[in-house]
Amino acid sequence: MFAQTTLITRWCLLLLLCIPVLAGLVGVVFPALGYFPAIGANTFSTAVFIALFSLDDVWQMIWLSLFTGLGSTLVAIAGAFFILATFYQSAMLGKIQGILSPFLVFPHAAAAIALLFAFSPSGLFARIAAYASDVSLPSSGGGVFPYDAFGISVLFALSLKELPFIILMALSVMSQPLMQKKLTGFAKVGTTLGYSPVACFFKLVVPAIFAQIKLPILAVLVFATSNVEIPLILGPNNPSTLAVAIMHWFNHIDLSMRLLASSAAVVQIAVSAVALLLFLGIECITKHIGKRSLVSGKRQFVDGAVQMFGVAIIAFYVILISAVVYIVLTYSVATQWPFPALFPDGLTLLHWETAVGALAAPLMNTVLLGVGVSTSSLILVLFTLESEQLRPASTYAAKAFTLSVFFPLLVPGVAFLYGLVWFQQLVLQSAVWFHTYIAHMVYVVPYVFLSMAVAYRKFDNRYAMVAQSMGKTPWQVFFQVKLPSMLYSIVVAWALGLAISFSQYLPTLLASGGTIPTVTTEAVASASGSSTRLTAVFVIIQAVLPLIGFVIAWCVPAIVVKTRGKSAPALKDKSRKGVLHGA
Amino acid sequence: MIRNSLAGFLLPTTALSLSTNTLPLPVSAFLGPWLLLALLVVAPLSLAAVSNSAGQSTSQSTTADGGTRKVPIVRFHAWGGSAQVNGYLQWVAEQVKQRFNIELQHIKLADTSDAVSRVLAEKAAGNHHNGSVDLIWINGENFAAMKKHNLLSRAWVEELENFALTNPRYNTAMTTDFGEATLGMEAPWGKASMVFYYRSAHMKSLGLMPPNTIRDLLRFSQKAPGHFTYPVPSDYLGISFIKFAVIVLNREHQSLFYQPVTAESLQTVLPALWAYLDALHPTMWQAGNYMLRQASQLQRLVSTGELTLAFSFTASEIPSAVTRFDLPEDVRTYVMQDGSLANVHFIGLTYNSSNTEAAKTIVNFLLSPEAQAEKQKLAVWGDDTVLDMSILPKGQQALFENDTIHDSALDKSQQTMLLPEPHASWTDALRDAWYARYGARY
Repeated sequence: MFAQTTLITRWCLLLLLCIPVLAGLVGVVFPALGYFPAIGANTFSTAVFIALFSLDDVWQMIWLSLFTGLGSTLVAIAGAFFILATFYQSAMLGKIQGILSPFLVFPHAAAAIALLFAFSPSGLFARIAAYASDVSLPSSGGGVFPYDAFGISVLFALSLKELPFIILMALSVMSQPLMQKKLTGFAKVGTTLGYSPVACFFKLVVPAIFAQIKLPILAVLVFATSNVEIPLILGPNNPSTLAVAIMHWFNHIDLSMRLLASSAAVVQIAVSAVALLLFLGIECITKHIGKRSLVSGKRQFVDGAVQMFGVAIIAFYVILISAVVYIVLTYSVATQWPFPALFPDGLTLLHWETAVGALAAPLMNTVLLGVGVSTSSLILVLFTLESEQLRPASTYAAKAFTLSVFFPLLVPGVAFLYGLVWFQQLVLQSAVWFHTYIAHMVYVVPYVFLSMAVAYRKFDNRYAMVAQSMGKTPWQVFFQVKLPSMLYSIVVAWALGLAISFSQYLPTLLASGGTIPTVTTEAVASASGSSTRLTAVFVIIQAVLPLIGFVIAWCVPAIVVKTRGKSAPALKDKSRKGVLHGA
Repeated sequence: MIRNSLAGFLLPTTALSLSTNTLPLPVSAFLGPWLLLALLVVAPLSLAAVSNSAGQSTSQSTTADGGTRKVPIVRFHAWGGSAQVNGYLQWVAEQVKQRFNIELQHIKLADTSDAVSRVLAEKAAGNHHNGSVDLIWINGENFAAMKKHNLLSRAWVEELENFALTNPRYNTAMTTDFGEATLGMEAPWGKASMVFYYRSAHMKSLGLMPPNTIRDLLRFSQKAPGHFTYPVPSDYLGISFIKFAVIVLNREHQSLFYQPVTAESLQTVLPALWAYLDALHPTMWQAGNYMLRQASQLQRLVSTGELTLAFSFTASEIPSAVTRFDLPEDVRTYVMQDGSLANVHFIGLTYNSSNTEAAKTIVNFLLSPEAQAEKQKLAVWGDDTVLDMSILPKGQQALFENDTIHDSALDKSQQTMLLPEPHASWTDALRDAWYARYGARY
């Protein structure tokens, strides 16, 4: 019975992830082909695509999307590997995760705004420079950051945001018991043969773990090529990246621009696909070259440079995060703050009062949605994972399933969300909460799945076998043995789901039609507003909200363990994963 | 039970009643797999059911008599980037709740066209009676687009008692939106005219005077490159700057701007504009390579000091931004001798609103002398009233008397020449020509 329930859940999860995305795709492909009855376009043709490619800037937009997306992913992978190679055997690893976690849980919009606070010509670093050189007016632009025409600042911001995620993924693979045993063995052999730790990492560890982190990296790549918030806030606009242009066309006053937007959305899918292919190609070439290096017998792997980079990147994150924390906190309570002073003239709570007054309702919505979405996706994911163990599918089907879990992450959001709105207008048009709930689920479930799947793989199945041999039903094994022992991972996954739900901008805005304001939609609206100080307050609230989830994740297991008394597995589990998730 | 949770979803402040619906989820995790799965399936469905019945109940309430408990909800979609406007609408929401027992929800838009697209999407999907947008704050081409696609309710404005106070018969600006007849689809709400503002301390350290004509502006920008910019023409203030420039640079062709644009008239006025902008762009902020997408960012950049000179359509937002520390104290506001572009902004009622009566009540309140006077207060918003002072009784006129004058505020004692907005067709023509010449800039 229980096994069947879990099987049904598994199908529910599949449908939940695929139906909205497919419906959304249909909703953009039809207008892209010129069919959009609302504005009197009733015939199918390729005219819209022809119009799109006759635009002067379209190739430049495509190039920018490719360059920033692929470039940032490669930079982030390289950075992540440098850091891991430098620290993977050191006790510092846990601390490093702690350092990087603010950027991990920070919503993209907030991160982009925060970078603007630090790096713009009137930002903190410019203030420090001006203070040192006695300049009274900020420079009037023309520098690289922000808005440079090549998209370097976008690339930079995206890499900063992706790097912690890749490290998290790599670490979670590396700390699976089996993998850990294998890697420790590898490293021992490598060291005995005289390979340096860095060389061991690149020649033995990376090849062993890469296959397992590839899918999340591909998701990151798709996300980077199609992200809207970061290029919108930091990117060039002559022209912009394709995703930003799509959003502007969809929102254009001239409603016939939606045809163009839809066709551009289809092109965006192609761009992301090309980025994926290029990435896989680069992977192939690296593998090929790497194979030669594997047997070359060199015991070093430019150790000095790698370690220098690893340490430098961490140092950079520390400086950057301190700078951002300082300037955002200070702006949120600043009165007048003329350039280039490092401190404001005075402090006030006015901005907080303004924001808090306006935020009561959005905060309530955010929490309601987040808790509902995260809780139900956690239940779905747990049942699904359990069904994988109770009724293992064929390897082929299992692969297909994993891929479909990543489906929403592999299709650019700007491409299907607009189509989804059209679809939602056809079905249950006034069920706004339901639609927003679904739109959030599509993004939350994959991350919760990723996070829980790791814990499930790490679970020592001998506990389950012992319990079963004592006559426990599968449900009892699941509920009384597995769940308690994975409690910590469960709450962390729940907190992660909460954080992802909190940070959704486009899905919330489009699915609810703006009728369900959340903290993130308010924050992005305020970023388009005129008050730097109010924006600072919003950035802080956005950053703190997901942290609350993780604090709960810390406290709950401790309390539960205390009340349960002698639950050794849970304790042990916690101590191990504390290093892993670090948040 | 359903009513309880319904109230929770619609009025988040009273969401305590929700506990029955959401809390069981985590708790039930200890009850058993079946209950759990049932809840899992039921939770989203009940959400759907709840929000479905929400839509219906609001529409029922408009037909129900005043004695029923149900509170009609009116969703007012309005740009939400200004703290003053948001604050004023909060005040309005409290007032209409008290007076008429209507719930006014301000849906804060980053871009008004989002709401226009929303209504269009509803029309496309056949939702003709239960739209999610009731009222919308618009003018210019958002109005032209909604008018063209029949997304607005017709001839409802004349029914409003307070509309007569704008003296529409003599004051055609109240029924004309950028040269387009409003046909009673939208009610006037406020008036705006373009002002410039600058950092006096920066001017001093640059050794320059604030420019007084559009030619002066170019000379200023050449002497101090990077201290001025304007937003791209898809932004309201951006296209306004271009209109201002083109009108002022073509003094001898003034009459052309107040007729629908033709290819010929466009070709007559463009050369002067291009010559001017070609010279201006390289001297602007970011060397003109990056231009702002939204006008509100102008204020932000003046505040951080990256810009020295900027402009706005709401003179009152300058001093009130200074008092909220969003602009420094050395900011001064003035009007160029070339004149000041002026227009009216409106509130539209969508064709598929389910709460038309409540929405009309709200608009009528917004046009009342009391609400208009509150809006005109510098400390609140400072938006000029649309009411005709000459036909108001003395007592009500007194409501509008000015509060204390701020150093950064516009000196209203000085005579300013108002330049009416060109016919709406010019907006698109100028914008398209600009984009064709200077690139897409999305």
